Amino acid sequence: MFNIFKKKAAKQNKVIVLGIDGVPCSLLKRFIDSGIMPNLAKMIAGGTLSPMTASIPEVSSTSWSTFMTGVNPGRHGIYGFTEVQKDTYKWKFPNADDMKSATLWDVAGRNGKRSVVLNVPSTYPARELNGVLTSGFVSLDLKKATYPESAYEYLKSIGYKMDVDTQKARESSAALAENIKTTFDIRKKAILHFLNEDDWDLFIGVVTETDRLHHYLWAALDDEGHAIHTFFLNFYRDLDALIGEMNKKAGDETPFIILSDHGFTTIKKEIYLNSWLKERGYLKFTKENPDSFETIHQESMVFALDPARFYIHSKGKYSRGSVDAGEYEGLRKKLKNELLSLEVDGEKVIKEVLFKEEVYSGALLADAPDLVALPHKGFDLKSAINKTEISGMGHFTGGHTRDDATFFINRKIDVSDINIVDVGPTIISLLGIDEKSFDGRCLV
Amino acid sequence: MTAESMSMEEMERLMGLSLEEKIAHSKKIIKEAIDKFGVDNLALAWTGGKDSTTMTWLFRESCKELGVKMPMCMFIDEGYVFEEIWDIFNQLKKEWNLDARIAKNIDVASKAEKVGDMVKVSSLNERNRKEIALLEITDEEFPFEPESFIGNHLMKTIAMNMFLEENKITALATAIRWDEQEARVQETFFSPRKNPPHMRIQPILHFKERDIWDFIFQYKVPFCTLYNIGYRSLGAKGSTTKMSDIPAWEQDLENTYERAGRGQGKEEIMSKLRDLGYM
Repeated sequence: MFNIFKKKAAKQNKVIVLGIDGVPCSLLKRFIDSGIMPNLAKMIAGGTLSPMTASIPEVSSTSWSTFMTGVNPGRHGIYGFTEVQKDTYKWKFPNADDMKSATLWDVAGRNGKRSVVLNVPSTYPARELNGVLTSGFVSLDLKKATYPESAYEYLKSIGYKMDVDTQKARESSAALAENIKTTFDIRKKAILHFLNEDDWDLFIGVVTETDRLHHYLWAALDDEGHAIHTFFLNFYRDLDALIGEMNKKAGDETPFIILSDHGFTTIKKEIYLNSWLKERGYLKFTKENPDSFETIHQESMVFALDPARFYIHSKGKYSRGSVDAGEYEGLRKKLKNELLSLEVDGEKVIKEVLFKEEVYSGALLADAPDLVALPHKGFDLKSAINKTEISGMGHFTGGHTRDDATFFINRKIDVSDINIVDVGPTIISLLGIDEKSFDGRCLV
Repeated sequence: MTAESMSMEEMERLMGLSLEEKIAHSKKIIKEAIDKFGVDNLALAWTGGKDSTTMTWLFRESCKELGVKMPMCMFIDEGYVFEEIWDIFNQLKKEWNLDARIAKNIDVASKAEKVGDMVKVSSLNERNRKEIALLEITDEEFPFEPESFIGNHLMKTIAMNMFLEENKITALATAIRWDEQEARVQETFFSPRKNPPHMRIQPILHFKERDIWDFIFQYKVPFCTLYNIGYRSLGAKGSTTKMSDIPAWEQDLENTYERAGRGQGKEEIMSKLRDLGYM
């Protein structure tokens, strides 16, 4: 392991990864065709750009956790941004301390390799590693988000911003756009600094400004009259410039992977699943306008968490649980059938309902949602508990999709059905490390 | 007097000054502001919390030294104010003879009897409906509570904007501090704002949390009793929690987070998630 020749040989296997949060593959193809992303256009000639399937659910925390571990949520334990505590029903927000699997940089570090990990969601608070890490969404404090101290000092000195100030959206679209741009510029500065100055074996940098742009300003993409339309296109030109600079560093030798954690599409309607559960008598609260599940009524049989994770309120599992073990299976089947027939404006909303054992496996299966629902395109499934109606429009124009996430590698590969769980094992294999414990497969 | 951000070195220098030097620097900023904006169109954002009370004291001293009257204080009543905050508000208003005026979005507040009540957008006046439309939000109603995006915006930001407009305020002094949270590192002593157009005066940016407590005890400045029972930073009732049961000034200020009881904890995560459409 610490034999000097072995280490030298290992040094040559380097990998560069760029994460682009929330970018659909179809959008990149469109920008390549329309000349907005000339660098990426050149790169696909010798590489592979393919749609990829995200995790279930298709939210950043679960998807990036699946990427960074190469295993399914049944093993890493991150099923979403929110959980409910089984005894008190208080909100819990899983973070890096709740992640139960080794990360790619843990595996790389065990094998004497150094990693730089910038802005990957769900890595807060920063844990020690062989290399540098500053965590991404949801990070609260830069000092706690960054390892080691010297990296914190550097980031502080450049005025690094952990995330877009989404509060700017309350001011105006223009103020938000301006903040997206300044956050991206400083992100780019940090990425290029570590890419060029640090002696890494594995480099991972994630841009989250794309996702923020899409969440708030998706409507600007196709509306040429929209005040932010030009900004939207220019933002992708800037992103392409960053891709170009990183590609220069990679050259032909170093594998360069670009991926996103989910796709994006236009929202036709938001669907509020807890309202639907309330209407059908599955869910009750003891308070008129609940703001958490702390006031859940003990007669409740099911509740939902974002985006569409259904939990059976089982006796013995939850302190006020009322569903007997004998009723569990019948209730799941009934719920599945009713969800599949849910219609809004004459259209079917739910494409598929899966039981937990059909999606997840591993030591943490018990914590998994009992059912998950996958929507038809354009329906944004949500589990807000303070809504009274079943469907409506929020102030977002774009929402996540599970298909149409992005995978690119600067190599010709011939694989189909790429899933985000496959990216981690591919990276580890490209680093020259033999590791068999993944759920995904190596793509090269 | 520009809003150019200063170098890290300059910030560190200012934060490293002694308490007396910090007070002197704050007074210099305050006098500069009074010189430029006068006292009639200047207001202090006073929340009853430890930082803005410190700033108010510094203003009083500076005004005495200049021989001018004390500017008005703006207190935002967002509808969920702690009783203990009202206590200190009334005590200091009397003791210090403050021209303390309350900024409140009466139109919204009158539509809810208690926190959590739903307010119908259609029941609001034109100004509030316009503000909601500006957010590009089409909700027909919203809950009257600090965690509600619309409610919070109308009861805090809009209440303040209306106050500034009605009182023709051209400069507003606020007590934010650099060490409070990462996002504030970019802030400068004078910072122009667009909507409505006014100058923000931020005279105690360079004070650390420890300085505030040292100052309060050295100058015997009255403070809210919530700090005695473990609160470190005061926000809205119902979304502010205690960090510990020991008094704020006895807690490990240097290695723990001041806003953990509101900003750095669950509320901040929730607000970030809500901003992206979760929950």
